[in-house]
Amino acid sequence: MTEVVADPRPLLAVLSSAIAIVFIIASHSRPNVREGWSVLAALTKFGIIVSMLPGVLDGTRYEWSMGPIVGGGNGGIEFALQADPLGMIFATLASLLWIFTAFYAAGYMRGLDEHSQTRFFAAFAASLSAAVGVAFAKNLLTIFVFYELLSVATYPLVAHNEDPEARAAGRKYLAYTFFGGGVLVLGGTALVFVLAGTTTFGETGQALANADPALAKAAFALLATGFGVKAGLMPLHSWLPDAMVAPTPVSGLLHAVAVVKSGVFGIARLVLEVYGPGAMSQFGLGLPLAAVAAFTLTAASVIALRQDRLKRRLAYSTVSQLSYIVLGLALVGPAVSNGDGLRFVIWGALLHIPAHAFMKLTLFFCAGFIHVETHTDYISEMDGIGKRMPLTMAAFAVAAAGMAGIPLVAGFVSKWFLLLGSVQAGQSIFAVILLISGVLNIAYFWPIVYGAFFESHDSADAKPLISGPFGGRASEDAVATDGGSHAEGGEGQGGETEAHDDGHHDHHGGPGPGGWERVGWTGQEGSWLMLGPILVIAAGALVLGIVPYETGFLELIEVVAEEVMG
Amino acid sequence: MIEAYANRYTYVLVAALVAIGLYILIASQNLVKKIIGLSIFQTGIFLFFITAAFVEGGSSPVIDGEGLYASPLPQVIVLTAIVVGVALTAVALALIVRIYSEYGTLDEETLREVRADE
Amino acid sequence: MSDSLLGLVIVLPLLGSAVSLGAGLIRNHAGWWVAAAILAVEAALTARLAYAIYVGGDRLVHILGGETFGRKEITVDGGTTNFTVGIELVGDALSGLVVVLIAAVALGVLAYSRHAGPRGNIFYAVYLIMTGGLMGVALTGDLFNLFVFLEIVGLATYALVSTGRGVESAVASLKYLVVGTTGASIYLIGVGYVFLETGALNMVDVSRSLAGEPPWFDGALYSEPLVVAGFGFIAVGLATKSAIFPLHTWQPDAYSEAPDAVTVYISALASTSSAYAFARITWMVFTPDFFAVNRRLLEAVLVLACVSVVVGSALAAMQRRVKRVFAYSSVAQFGLIFAAICIAVHPAAGERATQFAVYGTAVHLVGHAVIKSGLFAAAGSLASGEGARKLEEYAGLASRRPFVAGSMAVLGLSLVGVPPSVGFVGKWYIGVGAVNAELWAVVAVIFASTVLSLLYTAQLLEKLYFSSDIETHPMESVVADGGEALSYGMAGVGVTAAILAVSLGFLGADLASLLDPVWQAVAESAPEVTA
Repeated sequence: MTEVVADPRPLLAVLSSAIAIVFIIASHSRPNVREGWSVLAALTKFGIIVSMLPGVLDGTRYEWSMGPIVGGGNGGIEFALQADPLGMIFATLASLLWIFTAFYAAGYMRGLDEHSQTRFFAAFAASLSAAVGVAFAKNLLTIFVFYELLSVATYPLVAHNEDPEARAAGRKYLAYTFFGGGVLVLGGTALVFVLAGTTTFGETGQALANADPALAKAAFALLATGFGVKAGLMPLHSWLPDAMVAPTPVSGLLHAVAVVKSGVFGIARLVLEVYGPGAMSQFGLGLPLAAVAAFTLTAASVIALRQDRLKRRLAYSTVSQLSYIVLGLALVGPAVSNGDGLRFVIWGALLHIPAHAFMKLTLFFCAGFIHVETHTDYISEMDGIGKRMPLTMAAFAVAAAGMAGIPLVAGFVSKWFLLLGSVQAGQSIFAVILLISGVLNIAYFWPIVYGAFFESHDSADAKPLISGPFGGRASEDAVATDGGSHAEGGEGQGGETEAHDDGHHDHHGGPGPGGWERVGWTGQEGSWLMLGPILVIAAGALVLGIVPYETGFLELIEVVAEEVMG
Repeated sequence: MIEAYANRYTYVLVAALVAIGLYILIASQNLVKKIIGLSIFQTGIFLFFITAAFVEGGSSPVIDGEGLYASPLPQVIVLTAIVVGVALTAVALALIVRIYSEYGTLDEETLREVRADE
Repeated sequence: MSDSLLGLVIVLPLLGSAVSLGAGLIRNHAGWWVAAAILAVEAALTARLAYAIYVGGDRLVHILGGETFGRKEITVDGGTTNFTVGIELVGDALSGLVVVLIAAVALGVLAYSRHAGPRGNIFYAVYLIMTGGLMGVALTGDLFNLFVFLEIVGLATYALVSTGRGVESAVASLKYLVVGTTGASIYLIGVGYVFLETGALNMVDVSRSLAGEPPWFDGALYSEPLVVAGFGFIAVGLATKSAIFPLHTWQPDAYSEAPDAVTVYISALASTSSAYAFARITWMVFTPDFFAVNRRLLEAVLVLACVSVVVGSALAAMQRRVKRVFAYSSVAQFGLIFAAICIAVHPAAGERATQFAVYGTAVHLVGHAVIKSGLFAAAGSLASGEGARKLEEYAGLASRRPFVAGSMAVLGLSLVGVPPSVGFVGKWYIGVGAVNAELWAVVAVIFASTVLSLLYTAQLLEKLYFSSDIETHPMESVVADGGEALSYGMAGVGVTAAILAVSLGFLGADLASLLDPVWQAVAESAPEVTA
């Protein structure tokens, strides 16, 4: 049924934004042209990827290979890209969302009059190249190449502010991702290569199942932990909240979609194609991973409750939501003997990738828009902001509802499948955890929405923000709970206890002395460069929730599930 | 045991030379003495080769007849090594002259203090 | 087969050094042109050599001294065997790679030195002597001759290091001389021991004698105390020359005090040639059979190598002067190379492990030379163009020197092992080799070295790109001997190295396949690499 066709399009999809870097840098003195290149690259990339979509759905695999990059073994390991359904999910998603982010980023960077914009847009394009490379990689070594390049390309974005906090975050980011990538993933890849003689996805499962169980388990642990660093699995997540010092388009597209999902995507490749359900259940690899994911998704939700800085709350929400996906993937092992259960967990997990992307991107864009327009970063200062930014907060409310799993928004569908799957797999405990986490989601999003629309800056109720110590000194609580090192703690970690710092010392966040001015529902709240993308993506989240199949994502996921189930 | 050493007393000598050379090299503060130590150390190694060249009952591959013969190969080797050693000593002394003309001292400790002051 | 080429490759630069001195007497500025012409011819010769070795599949042998010498039949006590009389030069799949590397780097650094200095005909003469010595180290097939060439390289290096501006360079050079000569002498003791036991100095003959092949030996000599001690001395001597911790003390001073062009050259080739020599002796002379008997000995070197990786990186992260950062980083990288050399002959290594470890050694040897020379070249251009020598002074230089800083970033990341780059390919091969041999502690060190090298690379990148120069006060631009701006040659070497590091990353499989005859020979414990 599947047919492999040599085609340069996967490579072109990767390169299109890499080539754009040259033009972006060359036109550094003319911002309009430069942003034009970004948008053009995004459209090209998306066009190339979508042009492969019908073929992939019909069972064609487009492949490009430059021959072995390292020798030895059975002809070495190829540096090869292949557009397969799983990769298409991630590639389509990242490239589609980049189009809107390109507009939004232009508005954001100009709105704040940021420095080094050329470097910013160049690194952004490079990150997207690497992310699509991760999506299309045909084997573990190729995915590693792009995984590392992604770390490198994102580093300038995290350290963008060039102040001590950003540098510290950048350092932490590099240390975590290189430990995960260069040490763990590379080690695991080497081990898989030695055990199976190849690292091509889909061809290693049998050999690994016959290998020395201790080594096979070790390889899985290395790879899962390595990818888990970027996927924000606890206790290796603490780089993510810190990375929120980056400009908001970065937090949005990269640290809620491309980068973190490359980690999740790596785990999906690992579970579904490197090991496969058979080897997963044979070695009992699913449950430990599921336990870590379940812990992460609950703990991160609880920590999110305690964050007053909106972006940090969103970051912890990301950590939590990513673990939904990991949990679903991990349940592939226990669910293997149950056909429907297996299908549902795969559907749920993979559908949550685009679902979470749309919703979280909306949320981040809203946070960034609020920052640009009002320089407000803290939730406690946002009471009544619905008057000032009605459309933005409406979009925020929709996305937040989706996060909590309320029907008609994207998050509902994926969570529904995850619930069904975990019950059918005989792991009802995880279904309970999923439900608890849903409640927590409401607990940390509702106050924002409620405050924005139904309160005003001078008459706000106390928020259910848990700000007291959890069993440690107040200044240490964030450190104690997220396992980060004390030395890295910038002002961000103490957000709820320390004085608010808006990053712009000449402005002050929050409403002016007279409260928020009232703005109509027709979009006078700010630049359409930013408002437009917010509304489009929020609408996308709704579309995905109402007609998941027609968007193409669920269709791709069905193909993936059928292939995995053989 | 003692007899074995008595027959091979040159090896003892060689070992002593190597040890003395290394000791001077490490322990002496004076740069020139260090180089002297280095030379003694190398000389010990050269003598080791010369000593080893003599094999009891060895015969010459070229000339027939009675007599004591030693393998010519180590002699040639040592000749080359001596040339290398001389060159090294020359370079080392040249460097020391330059250091002395700048700092006015040959003492390693003083040198370190002078450099730390700069 | 085209064997006199081997001699020519060594002799040409040595003669050329005299020519460049002589030409300098006639015209003052002739030295550089003579050196450039000679090295260009040299590059052509080595290309021809590499063609014969890799495409023709030859093992080239040249006996110095004409027909009197050569392989002779010897009959002792009724047993007959072949022995080489005289000194043999060997061009095989292992030495070919190193020879090409030397020729290429020598030409590149010469271009760099045109602007960066030091100048003067004496410099070019010594430079050529060093090149000839390096060629000799790469091509010789004789243990004692190797000592002589090592010392020629050493002498030239000591002289080159001391051409630095301040007298500091003389102090560093003297330290280098004392430690380096001691190391070479220790190597000589080892050779003496082996010679006493085997009666041979030719590497092939020694290897065969150690295996007990000549009929007058009763079986292999692997457990003879003299042989075991001999390997120990040889290993310590060459480890000193390659600056493996704790024998590295000469290296940071020498690298940081030498003139920039000299640092580029010696960082790329001096330690590399001794590490190559160690690989050759370990693989071809002692062979895995020896280490099957003396496993502990090999593991001692392996431990030393791993310690070197960890400590070298840690020390590098603690340095403030950029050249010292890179110098200590070399200590760590040569630790990796020594580890790979040991893995290849480790008793636990199957054929697969040997294959990957040999690949890793060769690729990382070449890769490190390219990366480190590029890094030192970039550091040199920043020093002469911006007067920046310390990490603090690098703040914000990226915006002023985008190309130099960019190449530094690429090379630094390549050193960390970010793919696709030659640094990654080398590390991958070494890692896979260690995994294959199931030496888990070594595996841990190799993969951890990524994070360890990130320690110092990240500092550098952060300073270059994410610290604005307002925080520090840039020194007044210290103008080098040359004009005000950087020459294209100086910046070009860094950029070329960066491009090379990345493109070699894509050629990892092809580069490694050149080594196929080598690992096959090692796996069979063969004394020579056959075509």
